[in-house]
Amino acid sequence: MAADNPIDPIHQFEISKIADIQLGGIDISFTNSSLFMVFALAATMALFVIGLSKKSIIPNRMQMLSELSYNFIANMLRDQVGDQGRAYFPFIFSLFMFIFFCNFIGLIPYTFTVTSHLIVTFAFAGLIFIAVTIIGFVKNGLGYLRIFYPSGIPIFLAPLIVPIEIISYLSKPISLSVRLCANMLAGHSILKIFAGFIVMLGFLGFAPLVFLVVLYALETLIAALQAYIFTILTCIYLNDALHPDH
Amino acid sequence: MKILLKAFLLTAPINFVYAAEGQKSAGLPQMDIATFPSQLFWLVITFSLLYLFMWKFVIPRLGATIEERRDKISNDINDADNLNTEATDILKKYDEQMASASQESNEIITNSKKAMLDHLETLKKENEEKVNSLISESQSKIKAQEEKSKIEIRNATLDTVKAIVSRYIENIPSDEEINKRLN
Repeated sequence: MAADNPIDPIHQFEISKIADIQLGGIDISFTNSSLFMVFALAATMALFVIGLSKKSIIPNRMQMLSELSYNFIANMLRDQVGDQGRAYFPFIFSLFMFIFFCNFIGLIPYTFTVTSHLIVTFAFAGLIFIAVTIIGFVKNGLGYLRIFYPSGIPIFLAPLIVPIEIISYLSKPISLSVRLCANMLAGHSILKIFAGFIVMLGFLGFAPLVFLVVLYALETLIAALQAYIFTILTCIYLNDALHPDH
Repeated sequence: MKILLKAFLLTAPINFVYAAEGQKSAGLPQMDIATFPSQLFWLVITFSLLYLFMWKFVIPRLGATIEERRDKISNDINDADNLNTEATDILKKYDEQMASASQESNEIITNSKKAMLDHLETLKKENEEKVNSLISESQSKIKAQEEKSKIEIRNATLDTVKAIVSRYIENIPSDEEINKRLN
């Protein structure tokens, strides 16, 4: 069904094999998804390799761009976590750049959006969840369990509050991954649907075209915003793990 | 957007079944678990490479550049501050020197004025003394002359009286008597 309908909005999310690779019976083929992961990696590398090729006190545009992104994430981490967050800066920075470029490359027509697949965003969210939990217990010992019982709550409310806190803690990776994936999925589907309307309506297609342009601008904003939200939430979870009392 | 998402999520279990049976799924490709190992495998590889690249290459270099710039700026600001202090000091010194010079010149002016006035005063005094002595000298001279003239007049009168008297009487009065009468 997907193949015979050229304007099927879901078609863009399909994964097709480029090189068939099997490893011990597991299919780890190089697919279009893998290709666009490599593109995101290449785009990030290109930005920083060009930006850092001519280090100078007064930066040129590319150096400015790389320093801006560096300072943006560094400030975010410092504001949210404080100085203890420095050790996690390479991860947070890589996370932001990777999601940012995946989201943006996906906006180009006929490309694939890596972050529109729940398994990818869930891999990140799950990794963050597990890492944050381990960091929390390593840094605070059993005191980390205090995050399930916020200070200043009367003891008789504990049976109510503690389960709510535990559920909200366990749902963090799900909300984190679904938020990013759903935004990419829904946005790109709607773009595709309206692009289909343009073709179907013929010369009346200018109306959905205008809408598509506006929507595309919105999607551009969302691509950047979701990368930002994913990163800042990671910082907030990290802060909770490092300072469970707050 | 939410409606769309809901629709996708509602159809998800059906797709899941299709995928598990190894059929070409008609629904969401997101739910095709056959693609998961490949996606996870390549995600781990690309993201690990990116992480290494960031950790070993980008962050040390960018950090160093930013640090260097911050140092340079703060050094420049320090230099500017130092120069500013120096300039202020020089200006202060200049003002002080100007003040002391003007004071000195004022002193010199006052001193010379005073010296001039003193000199004038002494000159005046000297001249006055000279004039006074001249005046008193001439006065005493005049007095002596007067005295002398008086005596001469008296003597002349005496002689005249004597001569007149001797013409008319024989008994010539003595000088003392005449004097007594004249007074």
